[in-house]
Amino acid sequence: MKLVDAETEKVYRVVAIEGGCHSKDRLIKLGILPGVEIELKRKAPLRGPFMVSLNGSDIVVGRGIAAKIEVEELV
Amino acid sequence: MTTIALVGQPNCGKSTLFNQIAGYKSLAANFPGATVTYTKGTTYIDNELVEVVDLPGTYSLSWYDDAEKETVKALFSMDIDVIVNIIDASMLIRSIELTLELMALEKPMIVALNMMDEAKKKGIQIDTKKLEEIIGVKIVPIIAKKGKGIKELLASIQNAQKPKKRCVYQKEAEETIKNLSGCIAENVKDIKWPSKLVAIKAIEGFSECEEVVENSPCKDLLNIAKDKLNNGMTIINQRHALCMNIFEHSTKLTKPPKKSIESRIDDFLMHPFLGYVFMLAIFVAIFYGVFTGGSPIENFVISIFDTVDNYLAQLITNKLVFAIAKGAADGIGAAIGIALPYLLPFLFIISLLEDVGYLPRIAYLMDSTMHKMGIHGTSVIPFVAGYGCSVPAIMAIRILKSKKEKYISAFLASLVPCSARTTVIMGLVGYFLGWQYVIALYALNLFVIAVSGVILKKMLPGISPEMIIDIPPYRMPTVKTLLLKTWHKVKDFVYLAIPMLIVGSIVLTLISYYNLNPYINNIFKPVLTGFLGLPSALGVVLIFGILKKELTLIMLYQALGLSSISMLSSVMSPTQMLTFTIFVIFYIPCVATIAAINKEIGTKGGMLITVGTTALALILAFITKITAPLFI
Ligand SMILES: Nc1nc2c(ncn2[C@@H]2O[C@H](COP(=O)(O)OP(=O)(O)O)[C@@H](O)[C@H]2O)c(=O)[nH]1
Repeated sequence: MKLVDAETEKVYRVVAIEGGCHSKDRLIKLGILPGVEIELKRKAPLRGPFMVSLNGSDIVVGRGIAAKIEVEELV
Repeated sequence: MTTIALVGQPNCGKSTLFNQIAGYKSLAANFPGATVTYTKGTTYIDNELVEVVDLPGTYSLSWYDDAEKETVKALFSMDIDVIVNIIDASMLIRSIELTLELMALEKPMIVALNMMDEAKKKGIQIDTKKLEEIIGVKIVPIIAKKGKGIKELLASIQNAQKPKKRCVYQKEAEETIKNLSGCIAENVKDIKWPSKLVAIKAIEGFSECEEVVENSPCKDLLNIAKDKLNNGMTIINQRHALCMNIFEHSTKLTKPPKKSIESRIDDFLMHPFLGYVFMLAIFVAIFYGVFTGGSPIENFVISIFDTVDNYLAQLITNKLVFAIAKGAADGIGAAIGIALPYLLPFLFIISLLEDVGYLPRIAYLMDSTMHKMGIHGTSVIPFVAGYGCSVPAIMAIRILKSKKEKYISAFLASLVPCSARTTVIMGLVGYFLGWQYVIALYALNLFVIAVSGVILKKMLPGISPEMIIDIPPYRMPTVKTLLLKTWHKVKDFVYLAIPMLIVGSIVLTLISYYNLNPYINNIFKPVLTGFLGLPSALGVVLIFGILKKELTLIMLYQALGLSSISMLSSVMSPTQMLTFTIFVIFYIPCVATIAAINKEIGTKGGMLITVGTTALALILAFITKITAPLFI
């Protein structure tokens, strides 16, 4: 599933990042790349951005970008 | 002279370190990417003068925005003797990515491991000796904020060595890269980057490097490499694994991470409902504080410059010379009258919000609203700053990524009523019509900004890439850096706006010296009187407003031949006041703002915004003229 459809306070593993090479590069630089675990911390209301947390740092990504991050839930 | 470059990711404490070693000349910010232009300073190491260059924070050598691009360009175009790579010890994994890239440049290099106190608090214990061994670069642990470890850092800068190791990929990947980089070394001569780095970046799809390779005989090799290495994902994964590996071998976690105070504060400040309530409360408090506190100071400044004018009148007998001198004095007076009471406190508070770490959180809250206008949460700085003065607001658009975003933000930020326009709203509408009209005007202003944004988003070509920002932890800023940073922002105003204000004032006094007012009024009469139903004497007032908006109110009653503002209600009807104020809120930004817009997005953009806002002002004022009598 995509990060946009994820639930808050759950941990996911990034499976793939599609599309736009520029934002993909930035995501990778911030540590969001296939294989890593991220926690979806909060979603802003009104179709706003998503805040995820990994390795102790918080990163906010726009909704459109969250739609391009494929994740799977960790159980 | 030896030149040292400070390179690090945003928020690693780079500006703080710069302030520590090179005097207090740089700015420290907690908003990712806020250090935009680089700053230079000098310091002595063992009696030898060295130059220190503070480059904008960057996550990597493949840039994402203009600020990062500046860093990368500077790294390759300046003669840099030593690279000091500052890394945030509490975010080691991600920081090492940049370190590995910098190592590829093969220049003498030192790693300053900053925020050791924060890492300790988070329970991260770093074995610096071990880390040094693994990566092969000298590491100095520091706490920039407290000035700890700076001496050791300076001493090691003197003995800085080239990296002893290199980032090595697995055999197959390494061979593929080598093939391509060999070809690049032979065929692409006019590039300053090491060929291996170009090869890696091109494989990873960084367009600037890709282009260079695609226009060379190495094009086919690049395609082969991309195929083999899964469009670069293979090397990215290997590098990340390497970073993880380095982290695991050099670091021990002593405490299991638990829910920090930080995320508890965030639960409130970023709350889907309370977060907005709090944000609104903060802004109302700031505006109320700055404007009620500022107006007595402004009056005081004006009274001083009135005395200066009187003095000049006695001193200079030649009327023309006096007119020019008075114009210059008035210009300086107006600049100080705005800068001191409103701009300075305002920019200080913005710096505070920035350094504490609140601005990125506002960006998060506002992103969805701003998204609908074709911009993103990162544009909050231009907006918030716009209520103080449009000049620093326009300059803040530099951190935005796409051209489209810059255009829209510049247009919208110039519609935000700056403190000069606020004095007109308060002095005219607030004084004569009551506060409910003031609130209505601000609401209308926000509404118009929103609608203009939506329209511009549709009209302008191109896309605006979405926001990806790093939310820094809450940090207590130091007063010193805050003051410096405020100064850094006021400086824009001083250098750009004050000369404009002075020239503007001189032009204005010359207009009245040569008695050109009637001519000017005549030119504007058809529009002003015919279209908007305003007294024709206001033509010259509006011209004054382009040069200096803060004079609008004073000019208004002078132009109408009144001895004080309170008599205004006898010559202007409430409808006329409202029409006039609305026109003033929206029409052409002042000359200083136009100059800033030209600088940031080009002259064409400046023209478009000037024409666009004036057209908007005319339409809105006309609508006001027709509809106001219905409810006033
Ligand atoms: N706890 C701690 N905070 C620091 C340290 N160095 C800098 N800071 C704070 O980190 C924030 C960001 O620093 P700044 O110099 O603006 O980072 P830059 O964006 O890299 O220039 C500021 O609030 C500083 O006061 C440090 O060693 N320890």
